Amino acid sequence: MTAGLEERNQLPPGRSEATRARMIAVGGGKGGVGQSFLVVNLATALARQGHRVVVVDVDLEGANLHTCLGVPPPLTSLADFVAQREEDLGKLVLDTPFPNLQLIAATHSNLATAHPSHSRRIRMVRQLRLMPADFIFLDLGAGTDSTVMDYFLIGDDGIVVMAPEPTSVENAYSFLRAAFYRRLRLAMVSHGVRQLVTQAMDMRNERGIRTPHDLLREIQKLDPDEGSRFVATVRTFRPRIVINAVRSADDIKLGFAARSVCRKYFGIESEYLGYVNWDETARQCVVARRPLVEVHPERDAARYIGRIAQKLSGAARRPAPGGAAPQRYPNPGLR
Amino acid sequence: MKSLIEQSHYEILEISRDAGLEEIERAYRLARMTYGNDSLATYSVLDADDTQAILERVECAYRVLSDDASRRAYDRFIAGDAPSERPPAADAERAEAAAPEPPPGAAVEPQPPAPEPLAPAAAPEEDSGEFDGKRLRRARMRCGVDVDQIASITRINPVYLTLLEDERFDQLPASVYVRGFVAAYARCVGLDPELVANSYMARLEGIRSAQRRGWLLGRR
Repeated sequence: MTAGLEERNQLPPGRSEATRARMIAVGGGKGGVGQSFLVVNLATALARQGHRVVVVDVDLEGANLHTCLGVPPPLTSLADFVAQREEDLGKLVLDTPFPNLQLIAATHSNLATAHPSHSRRIRMVRQLRLMPADFIFLDLGAGTDSTVMDYFLIGDDGIVVMAPEPTSVENAYSFLRAAFYRRLRLAMVSHGVRQLVTQAMDMRNERGIRTPHDLLREIQKLDPDEGSRFVATVRTFRPRIVINAVRSADDIKLGFAARSVCRKYFGIESEYLGYVNWDETARQCVVARRPLVEVHPERDAARYIGRIAQKLSGAARRPAPGGAAPQRYPNPGLR
Repeated sequence: MKSLIEQSHYEILEISRDAGLEEIERAYRLARMTYGNDSLATYSVLDADDTQAILERVECAYRVLSDDASRRAYDRFIAGDAPSERPPAADAERAEAAAPEPPPGAAVEPQPPAPEPLAPAAAPEEDSGEFDGKRLRRARMRCGVDVDQIASITRINPVYLTLLEDERFDQLPASVYVRGFVAAYARCVGLDPELVANSYMARLEGIRSAQRRGWLLGRR
């Protein structure tokens, strides 16, 4: 088994780094923090700026994006690709009411087909990269399993959405922890060290590894080379944070506070991408099945979303959360 | 990826080395909010002990960096990390040697005063080894704080803190309290509380039981 989904970094002929679609994975927001709201509105904002955007609903169990965009429930979807009924992702791309914005929907599937196999995921990512788009958004939905982690890690940008509530903060950190440890585990070469990382993921592990720093110390004792690799890998993990449903100045500061906690607890540099205020019309927009930035472009929320979109489109190409271009380490080919 | 103990005051506050007072204040306020009781941002990843440890370092960092003199002393220390090996006189000579010659005919400007050594010439820190009162004091001075500052951060009577440094074991209270004082002191000055407390208390117990044996023998 190869490390993660790294193979997909081979560019097809005719595409250069400059024209390659920028893949943005959005996760961490289990249950109602506005993750899909953010994806749909960011995508629409970028499309209105003239970029070609494709949004992909990766959450086969909680498919929402088509509803938010006013696309009727599709007959075929990502579920068909995952279940191998359809081999060509291109056939699953749907138009939306908005020029430049397209959708690969999911439909609510039964659990058996919800998690694509590893080779399916590789195939999917490869085909996504082939698409003639400027931005590809992956809405990761509510998951924290390894499938979802891999999508988060292969993105050029990984965005974690938080609302200023303890449940949301807890989910977001849980997500980040899972993604972080998965990233590290994939980068480690030795079987023994990989096992250590797996142990560390269990908060109640017997070795008393409570924090990433504890884990690093254990790894350094076992194998100093892996220790250096660990430190180098941590540096490539740079998630972006967006705070949704902001109602006060303290809520805004949560982004800075979370960034500090990421430094002190995980030892990672994250970026506070921006915030979106809570807006009472947001619900109406969902009911109307149209994005807020289209219905109410004058509202503050629309402006804040625009600011975030601006940052995303202006961002220089650089390695991000899982790393668009992670270092390649010799891999024994074993999980 | 440094542990709390290894981080400098700047790293604790997450500011650059040339941060101005305003930036320091802002960072301090944010840190107080982030790591305060019931803070949303630490929910589910840091427990009360973790946040307490961070807050103590934050206090210490703020006090040192927000005061010009102590900040300069601290900067000098972390820049030239082993001045402790050079006796103070050599520092003065070095400063004079480095001072530029005044150009001929120019008014002779007063030479800048030689930099004072940060701490009295002390043995370089080892990674392990005994933690005694002197070592506690050196750690405190390295942070550029005085006993009163540690007292207000840890809420321990400054008299006890001085007794800890002077190793006046006969005047310190029962071991269970002393251990607490030592751990709090250690956290404040960026040392591992458990390591330091174990080492200090072992030394204290050793000396106290030797004293008791001495009294017993003396009575005979």
